[in-house]
Amino acid sequence: MQLILSWPVRLLIVAILIFSVGVDGAGYIYRAVNKYPMSGNVPGLPPNYFGWQLFIHKGLDLAGGTHIDYQLTNFPAGQSRADVQQRTIDVINKRVNALGVSEPEIRGAGSNNDRITVDLAGVTADQAQKVIGRVTKLVYTKWVKDSNPASQSSPHPGYKPQLVGLTGDDISSASATIDQNGVAWVVNLTFTAHGAQVFDTLTRDNVAACPGDPATDPNAGCPERFLTIWLDLTQQDINNWDNPGVQAQLLQRYDSGGKMLVDAITNSEISGGQAQISGGSAGFTQAEANDLATGINSGSLPVDLTVLDVTQVGSTLGAESVKLSIAAGLLGLLIVVIFMIVYYRLPGLLASLALLFYAGAVFAVFKALPVTLTLAGITGFILSVGMAVDANVLIFERFKEEVRAGRTIPAAVDAAVRRAWPAIRDSNTSTLITCLILLFVGPAQIKGFAIVLAIGVVASLFSSIFVTHNLLAIVLNSTRMRRPALLGVDRARIA
Amino acid sequence: MLESPDDKESGAVSADEPESDLEETDGEPDETLAEEAAAVEEAVAEPPPIEKVVAPPRVRKLDIVSRRNWFFLLSLLIIIPGIISMSTKHFLLGIDFAGGTELTVTFTNNPTTAQVESAVASENIDGSVISTGAGGFIIRTPPLQPAQQTTVLNDLTNKVGPIDRSKLSILEVGGTIASETIEFALLAVVLAAVAILLLLMIRFRNVPGGWRAGFQFGGSALAALLHDVFLLTGLFSIMGAVLGLRIGEIDSLFVTAVLTVVGFSVHDTIVVFDRIRENLRVSQRLSFEQVVNLSIMQTAARSIITSFTVVLVLAAILIAGGASLKGFALALMIGIVSGTYSSIFNAAPLLVVWRRLQPVR
Repeated sequence: MQLILSWPVRLLIVAILIFSVGVDGAGYIYRAVNKYPMSGNVPGLPPNYFGWQLFIHKGLDLAGGTHIDYQLTNFPAGQSRADVQQRTIDVINKRVNALGVSEPEIRGAGSNNDRITVDLAGVTADQAQKVIGRVTKLVYTKWVKDSNPASQSSPHPGYKPQLVGLTGDDISSASATIDQNGVAWVVNLTFTAHGAQVFDTLTRDNVAACPGDPATDPNAGCPERFLTIWLDLTQQDINNWDNPGVQAQLLQRYDSGGKMLVDAITNSEISGGQAQISGGSAGFTQAEANDLATGINSGSLPVDLTVLDVTQVGSTLGAESVKLSIAAGLLGLLIVVIFMIVYYRLPGLLASLALLFYAGAVFAVFKALPVTLTLAGITGFILSVGMAVDANVLIFERFKEEVRAGRTIPAAVDAAVRRAWPAIRDSNTSTLITCLILLFVGPAQIKGFAIVLAIGVVASLFSSIFVTHNLLAIVLNSTRMRRPALLGVDRARIA
Repeated sequence: MLESPDDKESGAVSADEPESDLEETDGEPDETLAEEAAAVEEAVAEPPPIEKVVAPPRVRKLDIVSRRNWFFLLSLLIIIPGIISMSTKHFLLGIDFAGGTELTVTFTNNPTTAQVESAVASENIDGSVISTGAGGFIIRTPPLQPAQQTTVLNDLTNKVGPIDRSKLSILEVGGTIASETIEFALLAVVLAAVAILLLLMIRFRNVPGGWRAGFQFGGSALAALLHDVFLLTGLFSIMGAVLGLRIGEIDSLFVTAVLTVVGFSVHDTIVVFDRIRENLRVSQRLSFEQVVNLSIMQTAARSIITSFTVVLVLAAILIAGGASLKGFALALMIGIVSGTYSSIFNAAPLLVVWRRLQPVR
């Protein structure tokens, strides 16, 4: 037990304590420093420390959020409306998850499957709408002779794009990486079986239009050999190609209002179903490449979404309900603390202090990470408090046994911690494993809970073993404290 | 020293010379292990000669292991009807799963959320109320027929105030939990169960009997875990689908509760098993059954106290907490009580049965 009682561990405990007080009390420290009153509304809260906005992020059930009501239009013909609605929900779900929103509520609605409602916490309505409504549909075109060329600004004068029936829906996955040379960000594409076939034919025909190596043979660079990737290009856009204004607009880069992504020459036939998008002459930034990959992966919306209504909504659980429940939880914890003190006396009191340390540290982590707290998350937290109590109860019950077996008090504390440790370690490990499995394979709705529980387990392990033991060792240094009545044992050897 | 002494042991403890064996195999010299052995055996034999124990050890006479069949029977009496109910009647699904009706209502007299909540509660349709500000509320209920909708709206007008009909919208909404969610949750439970089995096998491989014994410990703990999961889901199926009680409704919080029980159920079992492992080492004179019974008695106080503390918190929520949380608190309570019960009365006795069928020494 030398390690637990060593000075680096004690230093670590003090450091965590200072961190927790700093983070938990950030709002009050801000008020004190700026001489604002300690309660009521003051400007500038929550304070921003080095880019950290320190406050408790509450989920939809506790704090409410944004409610968006969508109308679905333009259903693809010949498909079940319920299926299309479900696919749309899946796409929205992926997009919202990419936004980092925890536990969104997305419901299909309407007797005709033509509505979807989305409830989100922690994002502005604007942000949410931008991400959900975003259309990222990759469209491939080749270039064909334009019978009526109107403008010379086209990358291939006298030619206009033609849809080739290859879109983002034919891509099974996309990922952003650095290219082989290690300089530019690119997006790697893997086509579906159908997409691979189309792409193969397309690239073969392209090369056949004017064979040769484009790097050396000037005749090999004909416009037919180019393959162009657009975002959301429609047949309508192509029909208006010969309108100079429209054409100039379309040819803008996609991030400045245009639709063109990259216009690349086909060097050779590509048959493996793999392709790469580079950012063209401007190149991609890492963020752009990631955004594009996410957009492609989350798929394109099969329908058009029209926002019918956006409202700020209150907590889904009802404010009264939440208040009552949290009050009930706190009351329960208070009873637990009283019970610990009455039943275990001095060690119980020290364990309660360790619990305070624990709660403070966990809340600091919640604020700093940040973790979005939902009711399920708070339950995870209360249960981890239960686990922290559990570890202490294990140690104290063992302590009583060791004293009964005739050990001196310091030896009994030492033995109790050591003997209780395997059970504490194994039971916490099993809970931690469950948390990790939930995090990786669990449904999205469970992840917040799993994170809270995992943080709680680690912190409770630390507080019950390290903090309680150190407090006990320090207090029991004084022989005056080694009184059986204080320790909840009938009789003990003092020395 | 954060390692337990037994981690360094390799199952080399022989039955002949317990004391000297322990001295050798222990990583650190433990001056008091012999004393410990005496203490454990004293608990079954005599009060200690030196220390005067004022209150003699309590409840040590209770023999749980030999009455194990009664406890197995008790568990089966709850679990089997539960499984029958789950497979025939399934569950009473909440709005999260089954969807329902969403009424967007605007009151012209700006009532408080609490007023609307109490009016909806008196309708007995289990609706949730969300404020959208300026007298607007979203009320979500299980599916309502048009006639019921009219009744509800009329009652709301009578109890709360006039409704602005121009802003009224009634929408059928689907569930927020896809069947996929449940598949993921089930997969998570299965993976967690396998992982816990492996963990316990590794942790308990150093009891006499090696890996096979480790498998018995892990398997018994897993059985207790499944006991808790089936008992909880079965009871909710009975309450919701058979008895039609709203509290037995299945929602996303229930899924959370089940997963929590998976995470916590093995705690008590591990504490008992850890004690069995320790006692197997220090008291070679007792039979396996006696060791198991002794270990249960030594840890029962702790298991019951711990569960009691958590149940206290949950009881507070169940009694005083909001209506939407009562089912959740009840589910956790059942799971935790069952977890403690199964570790004391099922897991450890099951270990004895398994050892009898498949002796490892």
